[in-house]
Amino acid sequence: MAAAAGGKKGKMPAILVVDDNRDNADIIRQYLEIRGYPITVAHSGEEALALFETVRPALVLLDVMMPGRDGWEVCRVMKQHPQLGKTVRIIMVTALNELDDKREALQTGADDYVEKPFDLATLAATVQRNLAMQQTALAS
Amino acid sequence: MHNSVLLTDANGPVLDQAVDHLEGWRIERRPSEQLVAAIGTVEGTRAVYVCTSDPTLLRATVERAHASGIPVVVECDDEAVRRRAIELRAEEWVLRGASAEEIGARIHGALTRSVPSVAGMADRVERVEYERMLHDSRTGLPTLPVMIERSRQRFKERGEIVVLYFNFVRYSKIEEIYGWEKLDAVLETTAGAVREFLDDSAPNPSRLMVSFMNDDDFIFFHVPAAGVPAASDGEITEMVARLQRHVQSRIESIHGEEIAALFDIYVGRTHVYYNPKIRLERLIYRGIREAAQAARSIEERERARKVADLRSSLRDGGVYVDYHPIVHADTEEIFGYEALARGVMRSLRSPEVMFEVAEEADLIWELSRLCRQRALEGLDSYLRPGELLFINVDPHDFSDPSFGEMEVKDPKRVVLEITERTAIKDYPKFRERLRAFREMGYRFAVDDAGSGYAGLGSIANLEPDFIKLDISLINAIDTNFIKQNLVETMVKFANDHGAMVIAEGVERAEEFMTVGNLGVHLVQGFFLHKPAHLAAPPHHRERAAIKTA
Repeated sequence: MAAAAGGKKGKMPAILVVDDNRDNADIIRQYLEIRGYPITVAHSGEEALALFETVRPALVLLDVMMPGRDGWEVCRVMKQHPQLGKTVRIIMVTALNELDDKREALQTGADDYVEKPFDLATLAATVQRNLAMQQTALAS
Repeated sequence: MHNSVLLTDANGPVLDQAVDHLEGWRIERRPSEQLVAAIGTVEGTRAVYVCTSDPTLLRATVERAHASGIPVVVECDDEAVRRRAIELRAEEWVLRGASAEEIGARIHGALTRSVPSVAGMADRVERVEYERMLHDSRTGLPTLPVMIERSRQRFKERGEIVVLYFNFVRYSKIEEIYGWEKLDAVLETTAGAVREFLDDSAPNPSRLMVSFMNDDDFIFFHVPAAGVPAASDGEITEMVARLQRHVQSRIESIHGEEIAALFDIYVGRTHVYYNPKIRLERLIYRGIREAAQAARSIEERERARKVADLRSSLRDGGVYVDYHPIVHADTEEIFGYEALARGVMRSLRSPEVMFEVAEEADLIWELSRLCRQRALEGLDSYLRPGELLFINVDPHDFSDPSFGEMEVKDPKRVVLEITERTAIKDYPKFRERLRAFREMGYRFAVDDAGSGYAGLGSIANLEPDFIKLDISLINAIDTNFIKQNLVETMVKFANDHGAMVIAEGVERAEEFMTVGNLGVHLVQGFFLHKPAHLAAPPHHRERAAIKTA
């Protein structure tokens, strides 16, 4: 297992994947793990919030449509977290077709979104550009 | 006395250093395989720090610790261990090789998060929520229930407190114009300034406490120390004035004049006397209500004064215009200017304030006329040939008969900016009026586009020549991909409809570069130019130095 992370051990930013659909979550997890990211999966908004402080993710991939606390609500809570909220990047997984949807997404503090259904390469590219942005922000 | 024990199987000296930072702690070391058994037996164990890479031992250790209500910090050698730690719901983890400070912080974190194992997850969510209720996450100030608890004892001892209610008027306007991110930042500055102020007045034996109410109210409790007379009315007035100045100047230096000029602070106060027959909370809440009412009546008085100021300004023509350059995104050459009308009187400096007062006093047409007249004066004297003049109009202005009779030599050089914020009720009639102006040669801009008041459909309806993006979309656009996507959509829409997109509120090099890359045609903002007065023509002014990122 340790070999998978190779020489980058401990350097790759942690990602929290939140999706109530276990198959989806597993596919995303596998795809990103191969790329060396430490992945933690949560299957509900409640679980995601419970794990948030422990995992201290650099980035959260957040499905919007979940029973219970939906992705918007989870995003809002995470972004308001006194320590982690300022740096965490949150990517919403949802289709934002309308202008209004996007405005609404901005209200919650979300940084980016991936349209559903997505292909994994797009997802990885989105993850990458957000992590790169975070690095620049942290450096300045 | 070292009463608290950190039980561990780790050997390094770093852990000792970490524990040295924690007050009253000592380390008990056991080999990994004996750790589980030690958890129930070593007295005073308050946390476990485990570094074994054996999954079975790790699981047994965490489960045993949780069964005893003891939090665990897992030292992770690799990703597999980290994941295991999270799956086991260990309170915290650190990577091997972390500094003593970090380890100390993690132990501390684990303690604050420590909960019984069964209810662990739900409790943690609740804890986050609970914390949010106690302290406002943006300002870090305690909420009212917390403050009441803190002042309870002193209030009883001393028998009286003074409640000061700070009402920040028009903070909501900041949100409306610049977006919630800006308001959050302003609130943060405000809270910081308030805290600084309190720190400075620390030698005072009396105690001041502050609480954050909701979006734009702060409450102070002034509890006089025993044996010290309560601050006199004069002293409180003086203190309030100093605080007001302090907050205002902090906001001005960080967020600029425009924002500082936008809001007012009104302070109401009341004395609350302790009465053992009445519940203390109720006494305080009543006091707050009274102080709030007092603040409001001051606000009303102040408003009446502003209406009087406005009337005299209208009589004397007391309005001047600042011209804010709009430049080409690629060449940075000046394309035109937006005229920003301001009151000569200090109380009416902010155009937002001036128009709000005019609206309340039903003087909006009179004010609009004066502002238009002043703005147009600059068309020949200030602008160079070919440069356009953007002036703000309210949809109501179109019903003003004198609006169509403006004397403009070359209407083609005038762009009427219509804000998307004012609801347009009768679209067909409104379009009819626009057409009349268009036939005279005037052009149109939709202001604050994308602010959510109207969709692209209603923007298309107005057939604008220019689309001005809402400031909140531009603020920090370089780091937010959703904003970039929205602006891209607007640019595409504009290109399809033969319009040009203007990004206003560009304050940073990164924002300037981002909007340029997204294809925005024109840019306006402090990053390039500050609004300037008629007295100084633009070609004589030094342009703001452009920093490259």
